[in-house]
This record gives sequence, structure tokens and C-alpha cells, in this order.
Amino acid sequence: MSKERDEEIKEIEKQIIIERLRQAPANMKISFGMSDGKFLDRDELIHQVVEDTIIGQKIVKVQMAYLKALKNNLVVEG
Amino acid sequence: MPRVLFSRPMHDVTLGYLHYYSKELVKLSKDLNHSTVNKEYTEANRKVIEKVISKFKPDLIMLNGHGSPEVVCGHNNEIIVSSRDNPKLLKDAITYSFSCSSALVLGEKAVENGAICFIGYEFDFALGKDPDSESTPSKDKIAKLFMEPSNLLFKNILEGCPIKYAVEKAKEMMNKNVWYLNTTNAFPEAIHYAPYLYGNYLGLVAKGNDNASVK
Repeated sequence: MSKERDEEIKEIEKQIIIERLRQAPANMKISFGMSDGKFLDRDELIHQVVEDTIIGQKIVKVQMAYLKALKNNLVVEG
Repeated sequence: MPRVLFSRPMHDVTLGYLHYYSKELVKLSKDLNHSTVNKEYTEANRKVIEKVISKFKPDLIMLNGHGSPEVVCGHNNEIIVSSRDNPKLLKDAITYSFSCSSALVLGEKAVENGAICFIGYEFDFALGKDPDSESTPSKDKIAKLFMEPSNLLFKNILEGCPIKYAVEKAKEMMNKNVWYLNTTNAFPEAIHYAPYLYGNYLGLVAKGNDNASVK
């Protein structure tokens, strides 16, 4: 796959995840190791993705893995 | 009698949750009559932990803290174990590193340097928080879903189960909690936390001998 195509897919994934994050309540809170022990709210999560920070990339990676798992029926009732 | 060491810093809100949840593990370790050393707050620092490991020679170590692929930290994010400087520190022990992504490089290095097994995460460990809990771990219904699988993992190890079994059971609970977040109507924001717990599920690994157990 060409580099341009990779970039295009990366950008599409970012936009999908930003839209998903916008559906979340503003006061949701998530902490990652790289967030220095601080909890990030919805707008901070979106900011990280928009700015393509390491945390933003992590958010996209995890969210995409989750969407793929849902598509492949890997998230099942325990 | 197994020897168990806990390192439990608590200098920020996230570590406050880890500290709160691991309190019951310290108690269980003592109740099981394991020889238990608990270093918390400022004592969870490199000098103290290195000294305890060299004298006490723990069979099982739980390291709470911030981390990266190469390190696990203690109080005020001081590096306690690093793949570059002191991976031999974990020699002959089973370690659970409750920190971000340290299984990636440090886990491998520790096993290469004689650790029996290194359990940890290959991604950043994510922790969800209930905004209504006022950062009080005991009131936080979201954090509970993220933290309980980790506690189940370490409880099973303390009770002598093989690591492979303990990891499997923790992953089962994570999967169950992801399903719950994805389907419950109990609170509307639940579904938005599910991907992050799923990331923890994917990231949890054991490097080294996962048939080992604490005897």
C-alpha cells in the first residue's frame, strides 16, 4: 500500500474517532500513563486526537481495535 | 512461606486509585501468612525497593506506578526498574507491573536477566473514572470495572494459582466488564468507556514462565 494511501486511511480513522468521541458526555474521564496521572475529559481526548499527540494516537489505536473487535464479534457476553 | 513485596506510590489521582485497590491485596497477602513487605507513599522509591529486594528476596512483587516500555516508576515518578540500568533486580521473582506498557521492553529484558515471569501491559493501562465520584475510589462505579480484573489477577497469584490461569481469569473479567459497559442502561456514558477497557484486555501479557506459581 502506498504511503499516501496509509496517510489517507489514518486521517479517515482520526475523523471516525473524533466523531465517536463527540458522542460521549463532556464529563467522561480517562487516565492514561502518558497523561501524568491526570484524567482527561471528552474535549481533552478530542484535542489529543486532533493534535495527533502520542495519547491521541493511542486513543485512535484502541478505539479502532475495539471497533474491529465489535465487527468480528470478539466482544461477547462473558 | 512465600515472600511478597508491594511498591505503592500515591502522588497523583490515578495512583490514588491503584493504591486504594491494592490495599486489599496487601491484606490478603498477610491473611494468607505470606511474609509481606508493603512500601507505600514516599517509601516506594528506588533506594528502598532495591534494598528490600536485595535483603528480603521476594518471590512475588507488585509494582504500582507510572511506566513506559522501558521503566516502572515509584514515588514522584522516580525510576525503580529500568531495562537499561537494573533489569536484574527482578531476578528469580514473579513480578506484576501495574503500570503502562512496561511489558514491552522491560518485561522481555527482565526475563532475559533471570526473572521467572513478568506480568504487565503492552499498551498504556487506561483507567476510567466516574465524574460523579469526586475522585473517591470507593464511590467510583466506572473505575471498579477497570480495577477489579487487576485485583483478581493478583489475588489468584497470591493464592498459588499458575500465572497463566490468573491472566486468563483476569481477561475473562475484563471481557465481561467490556460487555457490561457496551450493553448496560444503568448509566448512559458506560458505552464510551468500553474501548479503553478493551485496550487493557488486549495489552495484558505474561512474559517468561507462565506455568509458574507462588508456593
